[in-house]
Amino acid sequence: GFPPPCLSRNPSFLGRVILLAAAAATLSSPAMAAAAGDGAGDFSFAAEYDGPPLPYSLPRAIPLDLSHIPLASLSSPPASPSASSSPLPVVRPLTPSSLCSTVHSHAHPVPRSAAPAPAGGAAVVDSPTSVIENHHAAAHHSAELPSSPSDVEGPDEAGRPALPPKPHQPVVTFAETSGSLLQTSDDEDEFEEEEDDDDDDAAARAARPRAAGQTSGSFSPAHIESGSRRGAKSRGCYKCGKGGGFWSRGDKESCLACGARYCSGCVLRAMGSMPEGRKCLECIGRPVAESRRDVLGQGSRVLRRLLSAAELELVMKSERECPANQLRADDVYVNGLSLLSEELVILQGCPCPPPRLRPGFYWYDKVSGFWGKEGHKPHCIISPNLNIKGFLHQKASNGNTGILINGREITKSELQMLKLAGVQCAGKPHFWVNADGTYQEEGQKTVKGKIWDKPIVKLLSPVLSLPTPNKAANQCGEEAVHMVNRAVPDYLEQRTVHKLLIVGSGASTILKQVKYLFMDKPFTVDEREDLKLIIQSNIYNYLGILLEGRERFEEEASNDRRKISQCDPSSSGRDESGFCDGTTQYSLIPRLKAFSEWILKAMALGNLEDIFPAASREYAPLVEELWKDPAIQATYKRRNELPFLPPAANYFLEKAVDISRPEYELSDMDILYADGITSSDGLASTEFSFPQMPFDAQGVDEYDPQDALIRHQLIRINNRGLHENCKWLQMFDDVRLVIFCVAASDYDEYYEDANGTIVNKMIESRQLFESIVLHPTFEQMDFLLVFTKFDLLDQKIDKSPLTSCDWFDDFTPLLSRNLMNGSSRSTRSSHSGATLSQMAVHYMGVKFKRLFRSLTERKLYVSHVNALDEASVLSVIRYGREIVKWEEEKPVFGASETTYSEEPSSYLADV
Amino acid sequence: MASVAELKEKHAAATASVNSLRERLRQKRERLLDTDGEASPPPPSARELKRVARYSKTQGRAAVSFNSTDLVCCRTLQGHSGKVGADELTLISLPQFWRSILRTGDRQVISMGRLPFQVLSWLVVYSLDWTPEKNWIVSASQDGRLIVWNALTSQKTHAIKLHCPWVMTCAFAPNGQSVACGGLDSACSIFNLNSQPDRDGNMPVSRILTGHKGYVSSCQYVPDQETRLITSSGDQTCALWDVTTGQRISIFGGEFPSGHTADVLSVSINSSNSNMFVSGSCDATVRLWDIRIASRAVRTYHGHEGDINSVKFFPDGQRFGTGSDDGTCRLFDMRTGHQLQVYSREQDRNDTELSTVTSIAFSISGRLLFAGYSNGDCYVWDTLLAEVVLNLGNLQNSHDGRISCLGLSSDGSALCTGSWDKNLKIWAFSGHRKIV
Repeated sequence: GFPPPCLSRNPSFLGRVILLAAAAATLSSPAMAAAAGDGAGDFSFAAEYDGPPLPYSLPRAIPLDLSHIPLASLSSPPASPSASSSPLPVVRPLTPSSLCSTVHSHAHPVPRSAAPAPAGGAAVVDSPTSVIENHHAAAHHSAELPSSPSDVEGPDEAGRPALPPKPHQPVVTFAETSGSLLQTSDDEDEFEEEEDDDDDDAAARAARPRAAGQTSGSFSPAHIESGSRRGAKSRGCYKCGKGGGFWSRGDKESCLACGARYCSGCVLRAMGSMPEGRKCLECIGRPVAESRRDVLGQGSRVLRRLLSAAELELVMKSERECPANQLRADDVYVNGLSLLSEELVILQGCPCPPPRLRPGFYWYDKVSGFWGKEGHKPHCIISPNLNIKGFLHQKASNGNTGILINGREITKSELQMLKLAGVQCAGKPHFWVNADGTYQEEGQKTVKGKIWDKPIVKLLSPVLSLPTPNKAANQCGEEAVHMVNRAVPDYLEQRTVHKLLIVGSGASTILKQVKYLFMDKPFTVDEREDLKLIIQSNIYNYLGILLEGRERFEEEASNDRRKISQCDPSSSGRDESGFCDGTTQYSLIPRLKAFSEWILKAMALGNLEDIFPAASREYAPLVEELWKDPAIQATYKRRNELPFLPPAANYFLEKAVDISRPEYELSDMDILYADGITSSDGLASTEFSFPQMPFDAQGVDEYDPQDALIRHQLIRINNRGLHENCKWLQMFDDVRLVIFCVAASDYDEYYEDANGTIVNKMIESRQLFESIVLHPTFEQMDFLLVFTKFDLLDQKIDKSPLTSCDWFDDFTPLLSRNLMNGSSRSTRSSHSGATLSQMAVHYMGVKFKRLFRSLTERKLYVSHVNALDEASVLSVIRYGREIVKWEEEKPVFGASETTYSEEPSSYLADV
Repeated sequence: MASVAELKEKHAAATASVNSLRERLRQKRERLLDTDGEASPPPPSARELKRVARYSKTQGRAAVSFNSTDLVCCRTLQGHSGKVGADELTLISLPQFWRSILRTGDRQVISMGRLPFQVLSWLVVYSLDWTPEKNWIVSASQDGRLIVWNALTSQKTHAIKLHCPWVMTCAFAPNGQSVACGGLDSACSIFNLNSQPDRDGNMPVSRILTGHKGYVSSCQYVPDQETRLITSSGDQTCALWDVTTGQRISIFGGEFPSGHTADVLSVSINSSNSNMFVSGSCDATVRLWDIRIASRAVRTYHGHEGDINSVKFFPDGQRFGTGSDDGTCRLFDMRTGHQLQVYSREQDRNDTELSTVTSIAFSISGRLLFAGYSNGDCYVWDTLLAEVVLNLGNLQNSHDGRISCLGLSSDGSALCTGSWDKNLKIWAFSGHRKIV
């Protein structure tokens, strides 16, 4: 019935416990040492009980494998005011919670809080591991307990024996002051159980040797909370507790953020997949400890052993490049101001960056490139003239010599150096020193000499621990320029990409135009080849439509002829023989007829695209012949009667002969006119940023330095695949703005849908617009509606009224008399300021705005564009950027700025 | 012109008769499904399936029961900075002993009606010594990266930057040497994992398969042929490719009348007969195709009421499972076309929004069906009894976002789930522990 006492079985463990207790005793003041000394003799009590049976249950001691338990290291005796104020040693009642807090406050000097944690002792729920740590920590923390910030009870409690929090549990104590070094068996089990549950890694669980004496015990959820595991500084592995104290090099890996160390067996479990490099799972997202910044990206021996080279490389790459590990710009102060993130990029990207940049206060002399810590002499010379805010203060390096260099009072050692360099320093002169070392006195033009000319200066500078210019700094020139222009780091790029989604008819033209506007090489060779194929196969398509029309016209013509000949049989006799054969001006010669029938057949089967690009070489002469044939030309003249011939066909058909040749080279205009961007016509995107444009046509746009850093990505998706329940639109939830394009000329165009019903294209656009606006992904998205093909609208609005679309039946433009009388309605009237087409666009815009408001109760931005015109595309893209910017700044401006909020929506009226 | 109107009329009449025939066929099928021969009342499936469950219970088949610690998350793969979209899990060459343990489950054949239903009881094993073999996972995320993970060390072995970040699917080649991915660029890109990265550290594309006219929604290698790949696309077709030449061998669907009538979202190749594959589509049907006959679908399976997001062949190759937007998973018999079981969760919470099934996977025995839901749940279904065994979404360390994809290792020892919370998690069985 007796629990087997087994402390004596593990003498080495016991010995170490005693050692600890003894250490605690020696650290404490004499009075306490005496108290501990009394108990010292009792240490041997932990032997196996072999006396007669007792009527009550004995406390049970469980051996602890100390190497498995992370131990707090001894902290140095604190020089705290409370210790000095109370001469007597103060012993605080030891409760696990208070211990936790004590240990916490000692173990976390950095980085979460520099100040000692305001320990609400009881509030701290610690992880199970630290529960047991604390029992041990008690032994040697007792000496310094008075200084603990959590010690609210203070001296009142002095000398009172430490009691465990649970009164009913038997406790084994070594000494009165050392607290519950060993808990009862119940407690012990509890710990083991908790640790198991806390451990999410089942593999680790079974791999770890279980401590003796474990039975299935109670399960206390209060401790499950997995807080910081690093409750105490441990010499062992923080996860398995092994390897207490003596690490051989290459055996451990420590967390970059909290410094917890893990043995090679545990490191992968503790750090997981290391998305931010060597950090334990809890520390992911926290900044790295500054002292460890140097080792960023330098693989250690442990990892090299555990991981393959490729894996290690990826870990190190993410360690170097992930945003959380970067130096935070806010923490670096230069010339009294904290840096902006762009300035930090400049500083780190310059040819001669300050070595080992750390958070802190620095001064920077832009003229000479001197760099140093605030209050200290120059530390190094970096690239001069970097664009960093703030001005150098006279007292930046805390000098007291009265001599100024570039407005900074220099230190004594610098003065010595100047004297060595033979600079005349009498009378406390003020110098200007340039980056190349030339110096001159303030207010004087003459260059007095070069500081670095004398070899002795360079020789002695290191002795006085003053910097000498780096060779690279002088090699400015091209290299420097190259370095400044280098790509923005990956992590910065990610953050600053604004995605604009563009969808609808005419979207691909806008995208192509944007490519021309912002990119040096808008299209790669492959892309051009792709486009060429598209154009070439489209030519056959257009020809096919023409041929279809030709057949129809021929039939009509011969019908007419028959009618004429029937009505007037006398006339037929006078006609040439050709007429008698039934040929009309639309008839083809037999050879071309065969070709045309073949094309029509291929078109009907739908595999025109598969055949023709490949066969274009072979058929080029035939195409030429066909195109030049009078029958086709006659058909082409009547192209207005062919509803399926797209407007762009005119452009290409005129050049049909050229295009069908294999040696055909695309012109830029061809690309703009081409249908789509890639042959699959899937998604296409381009990235661009607004360059600094000194010749800004608009003038109102003042240049914002941040604009150059912001990159925009214009993503064009095909509206063919879009439908109401479109899943892949979910991928675009990070888009900042949706640009929805509607062809303004669509209002009188129709197409036949799959069911054979004739649908107005404008109505179809409206349906698509509705389904996209109501798509759950775009619930809170801003929309910019752009009317494309404005030029076509301009051409046709006179012939075909806007009211031909039922949605626009209440369009009653108020035309000024001037306009009515004018010969051309589309010329701009000086009085009304708007042409009919502009009014039409405005009217359509209002229609869509009302629709949008009824759907979402938000505002729709509207603009219009002629996608073939660079300037008009540019203005639309700028407008899109302004919307994004405005939406970003809106929370800052608040709702009160109503005048500004009106501005974007009134844009349309201004155009 | 009059003839056109006439033709239209005829077409309408023909469509109507086709529809009525289809309806009759459905009724006939349902009647046949009723093995007892009684007159078949309308919704037969629910009744039928309950009977299956009842029957199997009387045969002494107890429901599989797991408690919350039987399946634990043993690895979290972090490193994506975007929503994880698709994954493919392949655990290659596990140690022999490990495999032997897994295969020693007792086989039992239960006859349910006329349908032989083979059940390999799931053997829950969890080993602690995972030898560092080549247990790789490839995952694709919207950060535009394809990451190949080592499932054991949970480290990335390859991070491939894609030129089109909108990737929807990825797959491992059977030999583990290359990966394929496809997305909104309407192309399927193949990367050879052994190729050297270029100067910027980017992995070169070894082959681009172009030809689809819509996004590539899913791709899978033909199991026994390294060079064959099947893709499904938003252009309503599936295609078989030769990876080495980059040529499209055949197109399934499209102009042919028996093809899908909406975007195809998923394909699954029969593991026992790699000439057959099924495709699930937004037209709420699943179609069975024979690779050798591209002209028509072998069979069409109706039953779902929403887009079918995921299809997976049952391990025995005679059945397949589906997961759909209507919130249910279903099990179909490949040959008869019957719907064998419906796995629909009761709307316990007052969810106004129906959570959809995003991805499914079968355990190696087929007894368990893992289904990921859009609300972050991941159910483990007992395929036989249609009861929920476990919800991974309620376990410790579960995902915070929608489960977007899941896959089982080829030896069945681990389940990998990918989620919009940017993480992948590997779940494994820990059968030995009992908590009082």
